Amino acid sequence: MAANNPTGVDKEQAFGMAETEMEYRVELFNRLAQTCFNKCVDKRYKESELNMGENSCIDRCVSKYWQVNSMIGQLLSAGGRPPM
Amino acid sequence: MASSNPETESNNGSSIAKEPEKPQIEAFRMPTMEEMRAQEVWNNCAVRSVASGVMGGGLGLMMGMFLGALDNPIMQEEMTGRQQFMYTMRQMGQRSWSSAKAFAVMGLIFSAAECVVEKARAKHDTTNTVVAGCVTGGTMSAKGDENCKKEYNVSFMGQDEV
Repeated sequence: MAANNPTGVDKEQAFGMAETEMEYRVELFNRLAQTCFNKCVDKRYKESELNMGENSCIDRCVSKYWQVNSMIGQLLSAGGRPPM
Repeated sequence: MASSNPETESNNGSSIAKEPEKPQIEAFRMPTMEEMRAQEVWNNCAVRSVASGVMGGGLGLMMGMFLGALDNPIMQEEMTGRQQFMYTMRQMGQRSWSSAKAFAVMGLIFSAAECVVEKARAKHDTTNTVVAGCVTGGTMSAKGDENCKKEYNVSFMGQDEV
């Protein structure tokens, strides 16, 4: 393991971490889009544009999802075990 | 004859026309930032209600002009042609202005109420329209009631004095 980086992080390690992070992000985006779409948009499409109700619903859905996600992430990273 | 191989097509619906009569389906493009902002303008409640009020005013103007022209037929003996014309014009103008105001207020209130209710419920339903109609009807009749009361009082009191 050649540490040719003065900060001590290996190039390969950094690359692996970046890859994991990227996968996590992609997974988060996909799940968020899927959940909010299923929740907010009626399956019988009457028009191609998002109307105002769906817009508000998606705004709220994304906001809540993001909040919950960050909150749980903090809990898990701080405690190491979810407090139950 | 063109074969539609799913892997060779782009994944959002562009296809080769199979027969000459079928319309070409064009590829799906994601909306640009300008398009999204243009759509966001119409999501604003104030913009929508003002636009609706303006359209209602235009409609009221047209309707008032048309109905005002037919309102009181004037006698031939009293005025010359030009005076008849001016009289009819003034009457049409008054009628159309009052009608335009009424319709503009109605359109404004309906559109604003529907927008607010839909944003609050976050659902696209007919319930929004129903509630907005109720609010509009209530407002218009509340306004109308005052005028009716005043006219009624005046006529009533006039009869008392006599």
